[in-house]
Amino acid sequence: MERIQTIFAIFLDTWPGFLEAVVITLELTAVSVVLGTLLGLIFALMKISKSKIFQGIANFYITVIRGTPLIVQIMFLYFGITEIVVLDAFWAGSIALGVHNGAYIAEIFRGAIQGIDYGQTEASRALGMTNSQTMRRIVFPQALRRSIPPLGNQFIITLKDSSLVYLIGVSELFAIATREAAASFKQFETYIVVGAYYLALVLIFSYLLKWYENRLDVDKA
Amino acid sequence: MITGEDIHKSFGDLEVLKGIDLHVEPQEVVVLVGVSGSGKSTLLRCFNFLEMINSGKIIIDGKEINPKKDNLSEIRAEVGMVFQHFNLFPHKTVLENVMEAPVVVKKEKKEIAQKKGLELLDKVGLGDKADVYPSKLSGGQKQRVAIARALAMEPKVLLFDEPTSALDPELVGEVLQVMKQLAEEGMTMVVVTHEMSFAREVADRVIMLDKGRIIESADPVTFFENPSHERTKQFIQMVK
Ligand SMILES: Nc1ncnc2c1ncn2[C@@H]1O[C@H](COP(=O)(O)OP(=O)(O)OP(=O)(O)O)[C@@H](O)[C@H]1O
Ligand SMILES: [Mg+2]
Repeated sequence: MERIQTIFAIFLDTWPGFLEAVVITLELTAVSVVLGTLLGLIFALMKISKSKIFQGIANFYITVIRGTPLIVQIMFLYFGITEIVVLDAFWAGSIALGVHNGAYIAEIFRGAIQGIDYGQTEASRALGMTNSQTMRRIVFPQALRRSIPPLGNQFIITLKDSSLVYLIGVSELFAIATREAAASFKQFETYIVVGAYYLALVLIFSYLLKWYENRLDVDKA
Repeated sequence: MITGEDIHKSFGDLEVLKGIDLHVEPQEVVVLVGVSGSGKSTLLRCFNFLEMINSGKIIIDGKEINPKKDNLSEIRAEVGMVFQHFNLFPHKTVLENVMEAPVVVKKEKKEIAQKKGLELLDKVGLGDKADVYPSKLSGGQKQRVAIARALAMEPKVLLFDEPTSALDPELVGEVLQVMKQLAEEGMTMVVVTHEMSFAREVADRVIMLDKGRIIESADPVTFFENPSHERTKQFIQMVK
């Protein structure tokens, strides 16, 4: 009972700071998903291209990213990037998460593109459309629509993974939690509070995603 | 209108077309029959360059096509194709399906393509479905949209690969009816089908393909009543 009161007290004490951090976490997530989507698109195209060189580059990138821990990637990119250019922690963290996301999103796009029935391509060609017209107007729009649920999922994963960039000094949710915990000596309660923030964000976003998927189904099914 | 001369086509070691000579006159309706695997689809697909022939010639409207030099997209635009599984674009409405190629390939003005599209949909009896998505249609309706979509490019020849094979029996008639009407209007057509009634009624010529060769080519009456080849007789028995 006392614990619950403490948790509540901590919540009331800390919400202005946490709310600011929520905004940073959301920005971090959004920027890295957008960046990851761009990278994912490029690498998915490379992977399905006919060029062996492009395929090789894409495979290398995807294999390395999927085969190493995110935390290693964050450190590696942070120290790598900041050696070359001056960048604040937020942007370094966003880029690191974006590069990480890119590999997963590339696989989402590749799967979606290759999942489109080959009959669509044949029908387009038979109508006289060129390869690029077929891709742009027929295959990609359908693949993109099919990518939305897994992309939403990737957004949720990123929302949680973004907590790792506290290590390079981004003042996002988790970083604020460590600070508050250290200042108040109430570690257990503070981490429950921050856990609740993440959970709330994930649930809200899951709900939005569901709503959006349903709307798509109603339109096209 | 479309001519194949000594067409050979192999997939790896498997020779599927072993020297096909086929000349289709303008306004002629040719029905292609043959057992599964005899190469009917492959022949159609060679005619619109979805498959590349290994040797031989394809001549469309008097012009021999050189697949290496000619722009194949432009040639395909002149040879329409209707598929067994319709292959409508599910993310586009019925009307958008029909307008797509005229707008994108022929750079037709949207308003013009729309007007022509609606006329074509009326023609196949689906004017009231212009704004729905294909998933809302029955198989027969889908195939009629697919025919309208092919017609929108004003092709010189229309190829049909088993257009009614994926349909419930009660929906076959409405598609055949549209095809019959096209034939009467003078469309040049090459049709692969198992609908022998269509072959009898509509075809000018019925051709039997067997193991990659044309073994019989005759008007429907001769083809069905007095075929010359033993395999044709067996085939006619089988589909009866
Ligand atoms: N892309 C391909 N790669 C390899 N083999 C193929 C390919 N397409 C067709 N074949 C083979 O070529 C032969 C002829 O196929 P085709 O589809 O032309 O026959 P069909 O007469 O249309 O038969 P069906 O009545 O079953 O449609 C078959 O043995 C088939 O397995
Ligand atoms: Mg076939």
